[in-house]
Amino acid sequence: MTTALPWLVLFLPLAAAAVITLGALRRPTLAARLSIGAVLFAFAGSLLLFSRGVTGETSFTWLDLGNLQVDFGLQLDPLSLLMLLVVAGVGSAIHIYSWGYMHDDPGLPRYFAGLSLFTFSMLGIVLATNLLQMFLFWELVGVSSYFLIGFWYERPSAAEACKKAFLTNRVGDFGFLLGIIVVWATLGTLNLGELKDLLAGDPRALGTVATLAGLLLFCGAVGKSAQFPLHVWLPDAMEGPTPVSALIHAATMVAAGVYMLCRVFFLLAVPGSAALEVIAWTGGVTSLLAALIAIQQSDIKRILAYSTLSQLGYMVLAVGVAGVGEAKNPAPAMYHLTTHACFKALLFLGAGSVIHALHHEQDIWRMGGLARRMPLTFWTFLIATLALCGVPPLSGFYSKDAILALAWESHHPALYALGVLVAVLTTFYMFRLVFVAFTGPAKSQAPDHAHESPAVMTVPLVLLAVPSALAGFWGIDAWFGRQYGVVTEPAASWLQHLVEPFVHAPVAAFGGLLAVAVGFGAAWFFYHGAVSDPLPAKLGALARAMRDRFYFDEIYERLIAWTQDALARVADVVDRWIIGGVLVKGTHGTVELMGRLLRLVQTGNLQTYAFLFAAGVVILLYFVVAR
Amino acid sequence: MENLTFIVFAPLVAAGIIALLPRTFNVLFRLLALAGTLASLIGALRVFLNFDATATGLQFEQQARWVDALGISYHLGVDGLNVGLILMGAIVAFAAACVSREIAQWQKLYYILLLLMAGGILGAFASFDIFLFYFFHELALVPTFILIGVWGRGDRRQYATFQITLYLSLGALITLIGLIALYLAAGTHSFNLLELTRHLAVEPISAGLQNVIFPLLLFGFGILVSLWPFHTWAPLGYSAAPTAAAMLHAGVLKKFGLYGLIRIAVPLLPTGAQHWMNTLALLCLGNILYCGLVAMRQRDLNLLIGNSSVAHMGFAFLGIASLSVIGVTGTVLVMIAHGLLAALSFAVSGYLHGRLGTLQMDQMGGLLRRMPFIGAVMVMAMFAGCGLPGFANFPGEALVLFGSWSTHRAVTVLATWGALVVAAVYMLRAVRVIWHGPVADRWKELADAPNLWVKLPFALLLAALLVFGCCPRLLTDKIAPVVETIVQQAGAPPAILTAGSKPTWFSPTAARETMPAPIEP
Repeated sequence: MTTALPWLVLFLPLAAAAVITLGALRRPTLAARLSIGAVLFAFAGSLLLFSRGVTGETSFTWLDLGNLQVDFGLQLDPLSLLMLLVVAGVGSAIHIYSWGYMHDDPGLPRYFAGLSLFTFSMLGIVLATNLLQMFLFWELVGVSSYFLIGFWYERPSAAEACKKAFLTNRVGDFGFLLGIIVVWATLGTLNLGELKDLLAGDPRALGTVATLAGLLLFCGAVGKSAQFPLHVWLPDAMEGPTPVSALIHAATMVAAGVYMLCRVFFLLAVPGSAALEVIAWTGGVTSLLAALIAIQQSDIKRILAYSTLSQLGYMVLAVGVAGVGEAKNPAPAMYHLTTHACFKALLFLGAGSVIHALHHEQDIWRMGGLARRMPLTFWTFLIATLALCGVPPLSGFYSKDAILALAWESHHPALYALGVLVAVLTTFYMFRLVFVAFTGPAKSQAPDHAHESPAVMTVPLVLLAVPSALAGFWGIDAWFGRQYGVVTEPAASWLQHLVEPFVHAPVAAFGGLLAVAVGFGAAWFFYHGAVSDPLPAKLGALARAMRDRFYFDEIYERLIAWTQDALARVADVVDRWIIGGVLVKGTHGTVELMGRLLRLVQTGNLQTYAFLFAAGVVILLYFVVAR
Repeated sequence: MENLTFIVFAPLVAAGIIALLPRTFNVLFRLLALAGTLASLIGALRVFLNFDATATGLQFEQQARWVDALGISYHLGVDGLNVGLILMGAIVAFAAACVSREIAQWQKLYYILLLLMAGGILGAFASFDIFLFYFFHELALVPTFILIGVWGRGDRRQYATFQITLYLSLGALITLIGLIALYLAAGTHSFNLLELTRHLAVEPISAGLQNVIFPLLLFGFGILVSLWPFHTWAPLGYSAAPTAAAMLHAGVLKKFGLYGLIRIAVPLLPTGAQHWMNTLALLCLGNILYCGLVAMRQRDLNLLIGNSSVAHMGFAFLGIASLSVIGVTGTVLVMIAHGLLAALSFAVSGYLHGRLGTLQMDQMGGLLRRMPFIGAVMVMAMFAGCGLPGFANFPGEALVLFGSWSTHRAVTVLATWGALVVAAVYMLRAVRVIWHGPVADRWKELADAPNLWVKLPFALLLAALLVFGCCPRLLTDKIAPVVETIVQQAGAPPAILTAGSKPTWFSPTAARETMPAPIEP
């Protein structure tokens, strides 16, 4: 059973997507049942595999050409087992929620087909045994994300957003594929296990291309996890339905970049490679940049989107600083990925519940006072907010603390300070959101008619609130540590676990707590009871720059217009006028002209011929005789 | 039915019967065309399924004497290289017959020409006699010109027909000169490909002569495949062609040039091939990047598909230029995948033209709401075109890039950009403009493909793309052994060839040996 089960877990969602596409596009209930059934099965299967701790690898050969051997297989180890659980678990909650949220949409079957395709692709990334298989599913999550962002394709903004998301990801994938080729060309295999053994035998096997290969692989993560400078697609991706934002653009797909980095960590952490340092700083810059932008957004989903960017930056930072010292253990990144998947999905679903109640109002400055009208949504949202800010004993505190401790212990004080600063900003913008949207006076008519969402939506909220609150006590970091050969003693009691961070790494723990206090105080000062944003008046141009996302979109638009589009214009002109015009028409014109000239000679007039004949004779005679 | 003569002659016989029928039996013409191509398809499928990938040499071989004085014979057969191409050709031919519903005028002549084209294409890929090979190609090429000239569309039809005829005739002529030069230089007095191969393996043509004959074949075949900068006939010609002709030509007939390069030019003129491969690698960038950029600027859907089809040929050329097993196998995969894809794309655009009366993309928009089936098909075709895994184009292009990395690194990097980014830009812009956004009032009454009959060709082509995309070994296991012998004849450095060995330039094994042994803990 344990051999067939992982295959079923992977392929049932695909089967659901196929059946819906081929036969249930006009039967919403059937489509929803198939899709939800498949993901629930995947969740149950992952739970079973996880609880039994099944590890191992199974595969068949997908391509076999001399020294290029590509398998299609499944790999179960601590890393993939828990990630499987996260994807299937959070996915299950969101699938069920979707049934309520999307109930009246005529495109519901198409929606569930996309969701199932996504689940299949994401599970494929998690289980992949080799780099090309991972790339294959990497592209497939990209395309399912495209379909779901563009679900309401008649809205121009959604149509633009899905295109932008796919293209931006493709830029990252360009580097990723090249990285895969470089690794294969250097080490001769694509299989992750074999690569790991090769590098364990000889850490310098990558030779001079170590940094290059690491950075090229990282390009993939930059695209998928929306790191600076390819971060621009994620906020626009919020054009998709809110459950999609929760599943794909908060909890799972965007975390795939971090997962991939942890999967190939042994390739990045080789001696002589500077890749990890670049990765750490990219993550740090992204987290700061996104947190700054989040402060001045007013769309509830965009605030959360920038928050996701910022937290992904945290995880990438954690991978980057994990290469120093003996342990080489990026488990904190995966730890934060896991807890973040729960509380960020919960935040998005809560936001969805609010948007649903307000009939698609997303501007927080038109909300207010929702805590009384939607208590369940409010309380779960608050739990997730506290977890995100890092308030003990909620899950986010422990995972964030692990990252700050790692940065501090790996002698990256600047990145540690940056992490604390971002924690301040995180608390600030999250409580800005909570104060403005949920407390204080109603700022428009919309909240007056709001009421709590139906059970099909609130039950998933409660289900996600449990891990958001408690996941810090479940030993997730120790579990992931096993992947990297780190064995940690479990805490004797929950009380000991509660105080452990303060004993173990006081700088990180107290830094985190201080950040929460400062951020909360500032948010209370500016936004408690506020009816309009006081910051623009105080910060001036800086606030405008934050609101306008530091003008990245505009800069990129110019850049593309000046480079690729300009080249395309030149190529088109050359094709039309030089190759198609001058050369082809020129050749044809020359031939035709010669024909016309020769035709002048062929008059049919005997006297002309006689004259030409005589002239020819004279010329010949001149050459033969006179010379 | 597992008989190559049957596969090749089923459409030709159908054409003959149509020629004998009275002019007004339109329904019968169509049925005969469908029957002829369907018979070929079934035969090709059975040959494909019964093909033994482990055996060496030709299978399903058929030989008869023809012109002894010149050493010409009727010689058909399949090996791993053409078995997939024949199946692809038969699928496209059947699909092309299916979409010919749009033709209203002179149906008798139309179906005769279409079937001649189909038979010629299948014959060209099945031939193992160079003369027969060329003969079948011409048999397919001439009807193409007439189909475009008579049943074509658009106001530039005359110029397009004129250009495509001249260009392709020129390409065919140069090829013919090259082939005759090869025949004379070999001195075996035989057009039999196998005999030539055996002979030239022992007594190769002198290097100087090879370096002259090879470019004749390279550019002759290259013009037929729209090698940059000899490509301008393609987008223009396809945009003017009737749907079925565009499908058959862009999908299948065009691959004849690539097939000729792999089957004849590279193995018989190995020194010449090595001499010219760097040039080819640079020219293929013209296809991939330049034509990709040109495609980004197109406003007409058919011109966009035509340019993208030219761009895709660049990957096929790049695989050949690598002269490696992986790269050339990738080329064959790209040929098959692109054949199905080009046919699918032109079938969709032809259907749209029939419904909308225009292919100007800025006049469309929001059509997905009105035509979900055709829209979904085209979106999938577009994703296949930008190399999405699951479709046969992905393994093809990936193999080409893996194969060419060790020989042409800079070109590979740029080609990867072309495959992943440039292609995605124009494909997704087209999807955005045609299918997404609000639907205009004038298209509110549009209807989708009404029944299964209309959907069949689209579904068939899409299914084939998916099957080969998910199980590329159906093809690669057959192709790779043949390619290996061809590449060996071309004398590629053995390091790229042998299974399990690694490319030479970085030599990690050597590096590992010089390293001090890791200290035991």
